Amino acid sequence: MTNLNRRDILQLLGIGVAGAALPGSAVLAQAGRDMVTIAWPSDVPSWDPNQRFSPDAQSLFKLVFDQPVGQNPDLSLTPSLMTEWSLAEDGLSLSFTLRDDVTFHNGAPMTAEDVRYTFYERIKAGHKLDIANSWRHVTDIEVISPTSGVFRFGSPAPTAPQWLAFMGSYVVPKAYMEEVGVDGFRDAPIGTGPYKLVDYQMNSRLVFERNENYWGGVPEIKTITVDVIKDTSARVAAVQSGQADLTINIPVRETQRLDKTEGLTGEINAITRVILLQMRHDGEFAEQKLRLAAHHAIDKAAISKAFYGGAAVPLSVVSPPGTPGYVEGYEFAYDPEKSKELLAEAGFSADNPAKFKMAATNGHFPSDYDIARALLQMWKKVGIEVELEVIEYAKYFELNRGHKLPAATLYSWDNATGDPEIFAGYLLNPKMPFSSWKAEKPGDEVLRLFGEPDYAKRIAGYQALNREATEMGATIPLLQSVQTLVRKSDLDYRLYRNGWVLGNSMKWG
Amino acid sequence: MSGPVVKLLMRRLLTVIPTLILVSLLLFCVLRLLPVDVAAMSLPPNATNDEIAAMRIEMGLDLPLIQQYGIWFGDMIRGDFGTSIHFRTAVSTLVLDTLPATIELALMAMGFATVFGVLGGLWLFYARGGAVEVGLDLGSVALLSIPEFLWALFFMLLFGVSLDLLPFIGRLGSGVARPETITGFLLIDSLLSGNMATFMDALRHMILPSAALGLSAAPPIMRILRSSLMDVYQEDYIHQARQRGISEGRILIRHALKNAFLPTLSLMGVQFGFLFGGTLLVEIIFSYPGMGNLMVDAIRNADLPIIQTVGLTYCVMVLLISIVVDVLYLVLNPKLREA
Repeated sequence: MTNLNRRDILQLLGIGVAGAALPGSAVLAQAGRDMVTIAWPSDVPSWDPNQRFSPDAQSLFKLVFDQPVGQNPDLSLTPSLMTEWSLAEDGLSLSFTLRDDVTFHNGAPMTAEDVRYTFYERIKAGHKLDIANSWRHVTDIEVISPTSGVFRFGSPAPTAPQWLAFMGSYVVPKAYMEEVGVDGFRDAPIGTGPYKLVDYQMNSRLVFERNENYWGGVPEIKTITVDVIKDTSARVAAVQSGQADLTINIPVRETQRLDKTEGLTGEINAITRVILLQMRHDGEFAEQKLRLAAHHAIDKAAISKAFYGGAAVPLSVVSPPGTPGYVEGYEFAYDPEKSKELLAEAGFSADNPAKFKMAATNGHFPSDYDIARALLQMWKKVGIEVELEVIEYAKYFELNRGHKLPAATLYSWDNATGDPEIFAGYLLNPKMPFSSWKAEKPGDEVLRLFGEPDYAKRIAGYQALNREATEMGATIPLLQSVQTLVRKSDLDYRLYRNGWVLGNSMKWG
Repeated sequence: MSGPVVKLLMRRLLTVIPTLILVSLLLFCVLRLLPVDVAAMSLPPNATNDEIAAMRIEMGLDLPLIQQYGIWFGDMIRGDFGTSIHFRTAVSTLVLDTLPATIELALMAMGFATVFGVLGGLWLFYARGGAVEVGLDLGSVALLSIPEFLWALFFMLLFGVSLDLLPFIGRLGSGVARPETITGFLLIDSLLSGNMATFMDALRHMILPSAALGLSAAPPIMRILRSSLMDVYQEDYIHQARQRGISEGRILIRHALKNAFLPTLSLMGVQFGFLFGGTLLVEIIFSYPGMGNLMVDAIRNADLPIIQTVGLTYCVMVLLISIVVDVLYLVLNPKLREA
């Protein structure tokens, strides 16, 4: 045997773990009342805010950039860079007035030329932008003065004000972008927003410093650090260990557990995201009774309780409560007996079950696959057998474009504006890739409402359409989704109904 | 010694080229088999079918596959790896920005694996024939069965949350200034800029992810070293050394370990390749901004240009590692040099 003793071996092993004994760095201790660290689940696709539509990135973009029109926490529109806007009666133009005290982070004033550049010139110049699709009907933006102008549309644009507050609609500085180029802008972005981006490590850390000249009032918090933490467990650990002051989108159970931890507050907030079943009008689901039977068999409250701690509100129309398209007092009943009756009328029974295929994602939104499996069980009880196919979210649009989605698809839809056009309008428009329902009814009505410039008539039209769509089984709304949020109890923030978590609304209590 | 090494280098470099061509072809073809419409993915969801068709032509997706490959390969030779579908940025920029972080992490993980593996192997050998060996053996099997992401979660919860000893988010703590980018390697750049506070902070941030990666790679090293030592101890020169009165410790360190280390070195080369693969999940868990993190984003968004380039980069790294191992082998083994 060798003469090495246990002490020698342990000493040798000690070398290996010596790193763990490195002295703590004083710079780690950053507790301060003028800074906040947020653990966020995703990064921005790039620092060109017009480039890619990404719902999760909006709270980050809104630190650096401003939108022409703002939203209150209840999602009603409010002046932002635009102090006034007015949609023409025919919906073919929108005149606007801008604030005269707004400057970009480099000190240059923000003017109507920047609005024209953002929503017209960049698109015409062929920049690869997602807003090119949402603003494709802009034929010109007339600059009347540095603080006023007119959008001209090729077809009625009744939701133009809502789109001015929606994804991608951030005003970028014309002169600066032309000077540094698109790549240069992405490397060193500037906006008119409440914070300046001072450090960016892709997929890791974003550091923002307060804009002391912000037109909307200087934010309370001086420095906001956003750690991009994609792993759910790591986000839980970050907020539990105190390395982050706030995080979102962690499991409901973890939120409830952390809420009981001293110094932390957990919230489960309903937001303007709906979970629904996208239906096809043809094939296995061509028979309306079968679609309605499938809907009556779903116990939405049980699904909410099982997967969202009961916080997800059961829906009967594809507009959540509090949004304009919501139909007050209307409820599509959970009624398994009615479901069985409808199935019998359609010629199906327990011995001769109705069969169809359903698609669902696994991991695209919280508990998606679990919900799909729960639906299968509920349907089985009434005599519907469903074959579940798991698809990647990236595949959804491709399958839908090719009209290759199965009879039903479990889907989640975000709409930060709350406007019904971006709920039922998009989800049931037969000409759009968001809808798997391609039939004339209620498709024709959707297309008509897309051109309805009168707000009251448009909203009334969508409320009626929402109800009709549910009653004919063109869609099966399930739940209003939730956003979980855990924060240090003494960190206040403004709760937005669309899930925005804005750094400039934060302050230590 | 330099002659054989140069010859070996030349020979290996010549084999690298066809290997890379083959791998690039394989990667390109396999990714084209995926049922993903790259043109549609590069446009917003509300793009029209006409816009998608136009994009398909713009991206050259209407051309025969072999022609597409030819264009891609030709561009690649010129250093143009395409533009990311999701980020709309040059892929080469994205990869070059993230590669140093992954290399740094993998090297430190390999350091951990080597220390754990070699010391563990020595301990296993030292304890051979006794009850301790059985325990250690079982322990190494248990370690072998735990994947790196479980170590990552365990370390994060133990050292990060419960004991609050080490940071586990990103490469630097909040408020710690990044050094000027010179090489892209944070540790080197902070040393070059004379910023020891940043260096120490970066080092502390690397401990948990590299330990998680290293610990999962250590058990095979441990076991192969033990087996090699056992083989070497059957050799005559070990008995002769004992007869000459050399101490057991000296025999082990000076005589046996050097020879037993050669097969271990080969395995370490293989393990280093696996370590690179393991960075994918570990980087996500520790929010480490490396190439693995980029790859996960690319896979989620079906960003084929990034997947292809990162895949090829992994291949290059593995080939480089195997060349380095071969050279080391040659340096450490005089018989090979003579041959």
